[in-house]
Amino acid sequence: MTFFYGDLLPFAGQLLSALWTSVYITVIAMVVGSAFAVLLYLGKSGGSPWLSRLCSAYIEVFRNTPLLVQLYLIYFGLPVVGINLNPIWAGIVALTLNNAAYTAEIYRAGFESVPPGIVEAGQALGMRRGTLFRHVIFMPATRNVFPALTNQFILLFLASSIASIIGLPELMNSILNINNHTYRTFEILSVGGLLYFVVAGLFALGSRIAESRLFGWGVKRHA
Amino acid sequence: MLRSFGWQDIEALARGALWTLALCAISGVLGTLLGGVIGLAATSPSRIARWVATALVTFVRGIPLLIIVFFAYFGIPLLFPDLSLSAFATAVIALTVFASVYLAEIFRGSINAVPRGQWEAADALGLGYVKKLRYVVLPQAMRIVVPPAIGFLIALIKDSSLVTVIGFVELTHAGTITSNLTANPILTYSVVAAFYFVICYGVSRLGRWYEQRSPTDKAAVDPEEKPSALQLEGV
Repeated sequence: MTFFYGDLLPFAGQLLSALWTSVYITVIAMVVGSAFAVLLYLGKSGGSPWLSRLCSAYIEVFRNTPLLVQLYLIYFGLPVVGINLNPIWAGIVALTLNNAAYTAEIYRAGFESVPPGIVEAGQALGMRRGTLFRHVIFMPATRNVFPALTNQFILLFLASSIASIIGLPELMNSILNINNHTYRTFEILSVGGLLYFVVAGLFALGSRIAESRLFGWGVKRHA
Repeated sequence: MLRSFGWQDIEALARGALWTLALCAISGVLGTLLGGVIGLAATSPSRIARWVATALVTFVRGIPLLIIVFFAYFGIPLLFPDLSLSAFATAVIALTVFASVYLAEIFRGSINAVPRGQWEAADALGLGYVKKLRYVVLPQAMRIVVPPAIGFLIALIKDSSLVTVIGFVELTHAGTITSNLTANPILTYSVVAAFYFVICYGVSRLGRWYEQRSPTDKAAVDPEEKPSALQLEGV
């Protein structure tokens, strides 16, 4: 067999705009999912036993079932009860809910790594609860688990390809479309794989730069 | 012909669950063997072997499983037109490739986690590379491998749902068929999710039990551990 990448050229624009869709659904799912994850952790470790059990159950259920099945439940299941989501929203909702469960576990490790001494120091200084949480607990916790969050972000980006199965027009979906138009299977799959790989690499690089900008303060725990 | 969700559907889903288990068991074992080889290459004294293994692992870990699945599905018949593989075999190949690079990374990390002193002691005893691995490094590395490997096995079980796209009837695909037959996606996929939950939660409990069962495992790799006086005098 022979390879010919020229057939793919007319589709370059489509491929790149699909890549952009992949990136923005991943970013939305990461940002909203992380906020939800912090709430899940607070609910799980909080005083109310029922809320704590509910949050634990949520985390365990979402971490122990496949993303694809969660996606099917949202995309095919919700319309039965009258909630119709288009593929984009179904994909974003599924990725967000799934990501929140994993990120909640990452944040658990992060919050547990904050030494109680500095929290007590903050209390002794008379900080309000909100200030204390934000500056003394949340930021150091995020800094400690930032590499794990980056890893989760990259995994989420790769997992966003699963949304192609319900027809969300992201990168994987576009790859399959182009395959149907050109029959250049090997070529488009290799280009698509390379795109995922390169963008994931860029995310890793960007994260390292962001880490030094955001968390450059104080003494680094992990050199 | 629509019918309501009944016992026969649960039976069909259970059969799908068995296929999922078979798929993950076979590709888990093959992936462990292949991953072991790649992991050894990534820690070998040969610079070329290290480079090739690391490049392979880095690349395959950076692309989605779906790409690997479609590569196996479309690519193998293109490269080997005479070979006709079943959907099961294609799925096993894709999941094996996927599993091998993740497990190779786990092996590499575990081998590197064996304290440097152990390697040097083996060198001092004059052991060759193979004997050093066989008697000194690998027995210790294997204990470190188990917890992350079980974590990956759980991920593999969940990710195996993706082979539904090439038409292999495992648990998720059985769910799609049942959902179409009964027009009851909520109940069907909830049962599918319950099956996955039981399998994955079961495996993770098994892993936790294994870790608690062998408290000495941590001490085995603890560089701080001093040999007891009894051991020193006895040998």
